[in-house]
Amino acid sequence: MKSAPSVLELDWSETEKRIRRFIKQYVENSGADGIVLGLSGGVDSSTTAALSSLAIGGDRVLGLILPEKETYNPKDIADAKLVAEKFGLKTQSCDITPTLEGFYKTIPAFDPADKLFKGNIKARTRMVYLYYYANKLNRIVCGSSDKSETMMGYFTKWGDVAADISPIMDLYKTQVRKLAVHLGIPAELAAKPSTPALWPNQLAETELGVKYETLDLILYGLERFMTTEEIAQQLNIKNALVKKVKSIWLSAEHKRRMPLTAKLEYRTVGADFRLPHDNY
Amino acid sequence: MKGKIKLALAQISSKRENKKANLQKIEECTVKAKEQAADLVIFPELSLTGYVVKDQIYELAETIPGPSTKKIEAIAKKTGVHIIFGMPELSGKTKATIFNTAVLVGPKGVIGKYRKRYLPTHSVFEEKRYFRPGDQTAAFTTPLGNIGLCICYDLFFPEVCRLTRLKGAQLIVAISASPAIRKSFFEVLTAARALENTAFLAYVNLAGVEEGLQFGGGSRLVSPTGDVLAKAKYDEEDFVTCEVDYSDMRPAETFIPTLRDLRPELFDELKEQLENL
Repeated sequence: MKSAPSVLELDWSETEKRIRRFIKQYVENSGADGIVLGLSGGVDSSTTAALSSLAIGGDRVLGLILPEKETYNPKDIADAKLVAEKFGLKTQSCDITPTLEGFYKTIPAFDPADKLFKGNIKARTRMVYLYYYANKLNRIVCGSSDKSETMMGYFTKWGDVAADISPIMDLYKTQVRKLAVHLGIPAELAAKPSTPALWPNQLAETELGVKYETLDLILYGLERFMTTEEIAQQLNIKNALVKKVKSIWLSAEHKRRMPLTAKLEYRTVGADFRLPHDNY
Repeated sequence: MKGKIKLALAQISSKRENKKANLQKIEECTVKAKEQAADLVIFPELSLTGYVVKDQIYELAETIPGPSTKKIEAIAKKTGVHIIFGMPELSGKTKATIFNTAVLVGPKGVIGKYRKRYLPTHSVFEEKRYFRPGDQTAAFTTPLGNIGLCICYDLFFPEVCRLTRLKGAQLIVAISASPAIRKSFFEVLTAARALENTAFLAYVNLAGVEEGLQFGGGSRLVSPTGDVLAKAKYDEEDFVTCEVDYSDMRPAETFIPTLRDLRPELFDELKEQLENL
């Protein structure tokens, strides 16, 4: 089995078509009036916004721009607006700083030194705003998590991953960048370093400890049941790195599933209650 | 028996868990088939209910005969068109034993049925969880020729089509619910199954998306020499008519005499090797 950059190449026109159809059919079947999504100015949300707009029309897509003072970055906001303008979707800006400060003030145990826990409040607050607008406008929330982050558990549980659909979740980050360029998103934006914007100067690749170009090939190998030794050999990297990635991937399954419960009865939610998705 | 027949490949997307809507669509397509002078209209695997219905299968499955086959019989009688479609079939002797079944219905009623032998249970498929595999080969003598039936994953196992051919099938009908990401497999398999049996093979696949799973369409009629005689669109619903001319079979069989050359002793070895895998 080969693991080299070429294996991540897809037919981008076909990929675009397939995702657009997925979004369009889901929205139609759900009876929703459109889509609400978070627009961060990064490649994932820009690509998701573009696909949503192409699928159902920009007038039915609302991009929420949700800055807060600690991670405020005018370039990100400009990029978010650029994408919105290019693909004809509406935007709404909401400064979430006062809401966050409300949490900081009213949680007795709050400690600003807990950078990650504080950051998670930000991601979950953004989710609250998205779902408020979705309820208000009878729309669905469209997530923009990619496969690299989802496999690595590199997201906030019930935060940025919370959505009704996640159209690019089966594409690795490097694939999303290519799809973005195919869709006409400026190359500079498509190549922009990713950040969850939980604290200032936070960079995904620094935290993950590996470049996406390598990470995606490791994950590709794990997806296809390759051994860590095979992956390391093919990519000419240390097996320890592959093993570390594998370990993180496996340990994050709790973030990707419904909460477990003790099996007590005939059919159990999240276990053997296997029902078709309501509308899709 | 007719020397030539006209087929309609009704590549539909089903509305999940909505037999009423799907029966309506089957009726509309059959009327359309009649208008286009088709003798036989073919619908995809589980076209009565949709493919991804999970535990709801227990509520949707019906016996044969049952309300849905009665309705299809009425459509066939009204139009004079033969119909092949797919449905979850509840065993008449149990309460929850279900088969993934293809049903052949003529203007005079149900002619026969085929219960899928090979149930995919890998990747996104979980058929063994819900279905019992079938045990019988289906090849039926009809006014439209001898028609053999198989379903989707059966195509990966040459023995299924081979058995229909050895039982006399001239036209092998494969109904399917195959995802778009596997379309290249089915293009090869349908051509191979037709060619190795020197028989016509009509493949009708589901279209549309169910729970993120894009069904690939790409339905087709393949000649006894493996040529694609007609082809439907990928992914989307489509309706294609095409002609089967049974007089093409003799020259194909003389040019590629696979049936003459079949070596039964290999099957004994195959069985032995498989039992020691």
